[in-house]
Amino acid sequence: MKNNFKFIKELIKLRLSHIMTFRLGFFGPFFINTSYFLVQLFAFEAIYGHVDNIRGWGHGEILIFIGTFSLIDSINMVICFFGVISIPEKIQTGELDLYLTKPVNPLLRITFEKVDPGAVPLLLFSTCIIGYGVKESGMHLSYANIMGYLVMVLLMTILFYDMELLLRCFAFFVFSVNNLMKIEDTAMDLCMKIPGIAFYGIYKFIFYCILPYGVIATLPTQALTGALSAKGLIFGAAIVCIFTCIALSFWTYGVHRYESASS
Amino acid sequence: MIIETENLTKRYKRYKKQEGLAGSIKGLFHREYEEKIAVADFDICVKEGEFVGLIGPNGAGKTTLVKMLTGIIAPTSGRIQVMGFYPNKLENAFKQQYAVVMGQKSQLFFELTAEDTLKLFKEIYRIPENEYKRDKEFFVDLFQVQELMNVQVRTLSLGERMKLELMASLLHNPKILFLDEPTIGLDAVASKQIRTFLKDVNESRGTTILLTSHYMEDIKVLCKRSIVVNHGRKIYDGDTDLLFERYQKSKRMTIYFEHSAEPDVPEYCRVLEKTDDKLVLETSKQNVEKVLESYIGHYPIRDIGIEDEDIGSVVERIYKGV
Repeated sequence: MKNNFKFIKELIKLRLSHIMTFRLGFFGPFFINTSYFLVQLFAFEAIYGHVDNIRGWGHGEILIFIGTFSLIDSINMVICFFGVISIPEKIQTGELDLYLTKPVNPLLRITFEKVDPGAVPLLLFSTCIIGYGVKESGMHLSYANIMGYLVMVLLMTILFYDMELLLRCFAFFVFSVNNLMKIEDTAMDLCMKIPGIAFYGIYKFIFYCILPYGVIATLPTQALTGALSAKGLIFGAAIVCIFTCIALSFWTYGVHRYESASS
Repeated sequence: MIIETENLTKRYKRYKKQEGLAGSIKGLFHREYEEKIAVADFDICVKEGEFVGLIGPNGAGKTTLVKMLTGIIAPTSGRIQVMGFYPNKLENAFKQQYAVVMGQKSQLFFELTAEDTLKLFKEIYRIPENEYKRDKEFFVDLFQVQELMNVQVRTLSLGERMKLELMASLLHNPKILFLDEPTIGLDAVASKQIRTFLKDVNESRGTTILLTSHYMEDIKVLCKRSIVVNHGRKIYDGDTDLLFERYQKSKRMTIYFEHSAEPDVPEYCRVLEKTDDKLVLETSKQNVEKVLESYIGHYPIRDIGIEDEDIGSVVERIYKGV
């Protein structure tokens, strides 16, 4: 474990040195990500500026929801997004060969090899929105709620990563995963704008159990507002465990079925 | 034995597409597959400290064999053990003890310096600080790369990069070094340097080396033992000198004339190419001197080149048993 931390530390140092080689490459993402965030915020305001209530959630709760989704998305972008999305290409070009021959978990290396400091401002903006949402809703936060929220954010960040990894592991078996990526984008886009509590019936099943983007920001928001039941908490923990097991097993299965690319 | 395989086989299934749009539509509902045998019933035993050459034409199965030995891909059937491990289990204890260099895939960070990559490798292989410093100095001296360590890798020549690739691979003192076409694309000087280093590493450190190469010169200079592969099968396994003595029977001679010439071609030569001022001949090794005598002094010659026969011809001859 200690060695893995040292390895990750060195990997991150290298990545930062790499990004800093190109000044535009280093500073550019700060502006791009900030602009992207503002566009999302305006779109949200355009939709929810005229809606008072969604199944008991007022404007404040919706703000917390949006801020939380953005927070989890940003954590993902800072730490592992660019590494994980490179998996299909690594499989198709045979670049994965070099990862498999090194005595360090290849998934660990891929996950942390492309950290992106450009998304750090998004973390700050997201936190501000969550703070504003708390103020808007007029709630009094207890330590238990804050702790519950942080635990849920951690769990949902893992779930987010699991989904990202799971879909990309299909590249071990199929020629292209582009269409799967489109499904991911569409589902995320929808669940970023509509809280999970708004889904009913089959939609709830899909976005809670099959493509669980519906719970990503919903459960932490419920934890912060004190609306998360014991059942919801258990469901959240269980879905993370299940998807983590599936994603890691799928990765391991894929690695052992990997055929490499012809030289 | 440090490497041992028995009846090692790798089969691929590939879709046999019929031509045209109609064939593509038919393929949506009914597919025909064909089996490609990349490596077939391959037996190989390598002792510790050996330097073995793996030769064969393109698509012979050399790289597939190396990929199975390093655990990158799993064999379809057969027995395989490398240093007592089953490679495709991909255990870290196994990966800690070997290194692989692929001529066409770089493990260096292009935008950073070699020094940066080495630091990462130090953590990957958990090399203690004092050992890291000692071995780095040893290889920097051996490869003569003092001035290249703090230069962006992308600005280096292919030959310089290969030296650093080798250095990065050898830093953790592996028991086995797998080399897949390490001299591909290198000029004669760089290839020669790389060969000298490899020989030194094999002799001074006792590293077992398995080298795949298209270039006869690599194999001739470095490997006492050669294994020739064709269509996934082993067709020769033995002494390298004997292999070339027995099967490399011809030389390729390229003669450049000062100006346009109409030279006579001796009957024991085969013309491969002929232009106004250039003649490419193939002749047996014994006749090379006679050919030189028949041209030098008789024609205005600008240059003469003599090369070994290419690997394909040698393989073909072994295959036919002639």
